[in-house]
Amino acid sequence: MNFLTIVIRSLWRRPVRTSLTLVGISIGIAAVITLVGLASGYEKSVVRQLDVIGIDVIVSNMEGGMMPKAFDESMKAEIAKLPDTEKVTTVLMQMLSVEDAPMMMVSGREWEGFTWDQLEVEEGRMPKDASEKAVVIGRLAAEVLKKKVGDTVQIETDEFQVVGIVDGQSVVENGAIILALPLFQEVSGYQGKVNFIDIKVPKNTDSGRITALCEKIEALFPEVRAVKAGEVVGTSQGFRIARAMSWSTSLLAIIVGVLGVMNTMLMTVFERTHEIGILLALGWKRRRIVFLVLCESAILGLLGGMVGVILGAGALKILELTPTIRGMLEPDLSGGLVIQAICIAVGVGVVSGLYPAWRSSRLTPSLALQG
Amino acid sequence: MTYDSPHAHVPGPVFEADQLVKEYDDGRVPALRGITLRIEDGEFVSIIGPSGCGKSTLLNMLGALDRPTSGSLKFKGTSIPDLADPAKYRGQEVGFIFQAFHLLPTFTVEENVQIPMFELPWSRAQRKKRAGELLDAVGLSHRLGHLPTKLSGGERQRAAIARSLANEPGVLLADEPTGNLDSQNAVQIMDLLCRLQTEHRITLLLVSHDLHVASHANRIIRMKDGLIVSESRPGDVTHSPQA
Repeated sequence: MNFLTIVIRSLWRRPVRTSLTLVGISIGIAAVITLVGLASGYEKSVVRQLDVIGIDVIVSNMEGGMMPKAFDESMKAEIAKLPDTEKVTTVLMQMLSVEDAPMMMVSGREWEGFTWDQLEVEEGRMPKDASEKAVVIGRLAAEVLKKKVGDTVQIETDEFQVVGIVDGQSVVENGAIILALPLFQEVSGYQGKVNFIDIKVPKNTDSGRITALCEKIEALFPEVRAVKAGEVVGTSQGFRIARAMSWSTSLLAIIVGVLGVMNTMLMTVFERTHEIGILLALGWKRRRIVFLVLCESAILGLLGGMVGVILGAGALKILELTPTIRGMLEPDLSGGLVIQAICIAVGVGVVSGLYPAWRSSRLTPSLALQG
Repeated sequence: MTYDSPHAHVPGPVFEADQLVKEYDDGRVPALRGITLRIEDGEFVSIIGPSGCGKSTLLNMLGALDRPTSGSLKFKGTSIPDLADPAKYRGQEVGFIFQAFHLLPTFTVEENVQIPMFELPWSRAQRKKRAGELLDAVGLSHRLGHLPTKLSGGERQRAAIARSLANEPGVLLADEPTGNLDSQNAVQIMDLLCRLQTEHRITLLLVSHDLHVASHANRIIRMKDGLIVSESRPGDVTHSPQA
């Protein structure tokens, strides 16, 4: 028998209560995994999308919240004149309810802009020109909308023919409906407006020159922000809000977990007053008893964390297959997040055990022996 | 019997109490009202008296399980209430035997005996070996893996005695060790305690309300209402009019 045997034996003396506490912690941790995994997955999806398309700098106005506010497309011509701008193209992107899909990315792209280049036609063809009333849809969007080539899709009040199904090589692209910019501007009521200007710089342009380009754009047009593609996630207010919301919601779940473990450990200490009295009478130091209680609560946290990670991973998988989410983002269950969640769970256990441990250390042996 | 106490047996008092007072409930309930006693190394002393006379309270004070309200209480010249490390004292200087055995129900007999050894720098194997030796010494080597609930009262008390010896204490404090046992088991337990005490010159303080049990001691202290009312030898007590 070693010390760990004593800890585990104590926990399993009340298996039902221990199991219920584990469920409480694991739900909290599952919430962390799910919410943070979704937010992180969304960030990664966007980063991957930008990488695939080959965008180096994004010009937008993030005051609009999750989707940038639209601005005048004429800005593009001025930006294109700046040095270190190899290709410049405009995009109007909106999250819309399309037919049965409650949220879908609809992307109006400047005709012949470089953002069309990475789209690989899997079925059908690309639109013939900017005036053809047609769309191509990503393969995930096609699954969600149950569309095939030749069908029509209703965007806002207008109908468009699906002429192709494409592989955009990223979840965001594959979950989108893509059409020529003027068509989308007209149907969405944003004539002459865009909300992104995407810039590709010449190969081997060093980071300092790209930074200088961003500064020039912001100096010319103070109403927009020019951000290097790699920094979009870190600097975007929308992503920050999503991250903060996911963590703050998780925090509530964690607090519930803390209260659950604390309640269990307090009950355990109260119930085991007599046993603690015996241990004190047998020469156990108070700090060993404190350590025993903390180890028990930490192990509760650890086990709860492990179960929570499994539950959270399952929830992410289910969400990934849900029509509402499918194609919008790929949930991210990274090793870092798993370690973070388990550390939180153990931390929850230890913090929850502090007060019960302190209580147990204050017992007078003779009184504790009387129970 | 493989048990050997490492404590040096030097003549002189193990315990000295002077005007020891213990009150509960802000002085409204006096438990000890000025106890003065001296217990020599290797002595076997019984403390007898009616229920509520303060004998268990006195034992708790001697074992540093509780603190006196006033007075002086020393172990080998050191004030017990002022001990820097009372846990070490409880774990290594004294061993407790209780009326209700106080074995931990979710641990086997062998594990129960190992529990006090966790404060010593012993390996798992050393703890296991010593527990086996102690249980062998009390005649329980065939019950190592049993839970306390599967043992008879006498066996439980034997296990508790083995546990009390785990850290090789020089003093055993036994609070009504036969109180929950039938007469046959009580005799066996007393025989065991006497054997341990005489073979190894352990200082044994035994609290009991049973005169026959108490009469095994070399000296009997009689208590009433928180005071020592008499001291005698076993032969004297059995013929005493107060008995």
